[in-house]
Amino acid sequence: MLRINRTLAWGYWLITAAAFELGLFLILDYAPVEKSMGLVQKNFYVHLPSAICTFLAFLVNFVACIGYLSTRKDWWDDLADATARVGVLLCSVVLITGMIWGKTAWGQWWTWSPRLTFSLVLWLLYVVYLMVRSSVESGQRRALLGAVYGIIAFLDVPLVWLSVKLMPDIHPTSIELAPAMKVTLAYWFLPVTLLSLGLIVARYRSNVRSRAVKHDAQVDPAQPVGFTLAGGKLS
Amino acid sequence: MTPAIRQFITLIGKDLRIEARSRQTLGLVVVLGLLIIVVLGLGLGVQNNVPGVSATAVLWVAYLFSGVLCFEKTMAVERSDGVLSGLLMAPMDRGVIYLAKLTSNLILVFAVAMVVTPAGVLFFGFDLSAAPLTFATIMGLSIIGFTSVGTLFSAIVSSTRLQGGLLAMMVFPITLPLVIASTQMMVQTFRDRNPVGVSSLGILFAFDLIFLTASWLVFEFVLEP
Repeated sequence: MLRINRTLAWGYWLITAAAFELGLFLILDYAPVEKSMGLVQKNFYVHLPSAICTFLAFLVNFVACIGYLSTRKDWWDDLADATARVGVLLCSVVLITGMIWGKTAWGQWWTWSPRLTFSLVLWLLYVVYLMVRSSVESGQRRALLGAVYGIIAFLDVPLVWLSVKLMPDIHPTSIELAPAMKVTLAYWFLPVTLLSLGLIVARYRSNVRSRAVKHDAQVDPAQPVGFTLAGGKLS
Repeated sequence: MTPAIRQFITLIGKDLRIEARSRQTLGLVVVLGLLIIVVLGLGLGVQNNVPGVSATAVLWVAYLFSGVLCFEKTMAVERSDGVLSGLLMAPMDRGVIYLAKLTSNLILVFAVAMVVTPAGVLFFGFDLSAAPLTFATIMGLSIIGFTSVGTLFSAIVSSTRLQGGLLAMMVFPITLPLVIASTQMMVQTFRDRNPVGVSSLGILFAFDLIFLTASWLVFEFVLEP
């Protein structure tokens, strides 16, 4: 069983690597260079799929938080942790690619435009989620605290979106793309999704395993029970 | 009077009586709020004062920090002498405990705002005469939303025996939509002289409604002696 799992994992990561390889080829060779933005426009192919996957990861996190709160099953908590970590990673990619774009398009790394602010607040919300989790020692309290915060944080997302819409906007709302660009953009959803899914599953499995190890350590049958040095008697 | 309302009034009475006799929260929090305003006033200087924007930002910092301290203190009272264990054993709905705690927190935060707001308005030369009611509505709704989240999180944090700082870290990012929306509305009202529409105020209403309901629903899961 272990061997099958390992082979499957290797196969999955090989396919993901191949998908990235093909994606790079499409970006570098197939998609034309955009006139006004130049080469920097090409990071858009990573930017948009990452943004969508970020949102999906946080959506799964929300479902997992509700799942934990209603069933108190540990695996929901493991899933919530994995999705939040991958979501934060993807959101960082969105922020960095967005800032590189902004430097070229608007001449500065950061402006308080609605979408930039939205991404930053989203990133902050879930970085805090991870920080809050890591600062609680007890497993059950950590899971409970994480679940409640995760639910409240996700409910906050549409409100952040509505509030940033009140700010003045310079972000492009629709972009004219050549057919080859559209194909490249559509294709890039595949490697980014494969990578996100793979990372979530890997982290989830690692969480499950570390929980099992901790559980075994707590009830280790090899430890002598009832023997005290001071009294020197067996009970 | 239904039992729920009677329990609600008893709980608020208890909180306010404790505060009136010990006077350990309100004085401290008011002075903290004033200090924040003075520090920011000195830091920003007169030259950086933009009407409607600077004062709102400064007031938000003062509300957030003094509010979080307020929630921490009122929840710490429940922890001493096993008050919470007694409350949890009492035959009452835990939603009532949340609503009572929220109301007493709101009374305290509004009391702080009554002192801190005039100070901020005065020090930053914020001319409210254009739309005083709009200002009061925006800030009032924001404080209700912020307190509803703060009350829920203070209950969770207080049961984890953690040091301070965690509550602020949880409350601040969740409150950001309120900060963004209220600041934009203040700019629109006091700098651009455009009246704020119902749709903008709707964001604040939505925030209050969503988080009051969500907090009320999940409160019973987080309350443990």
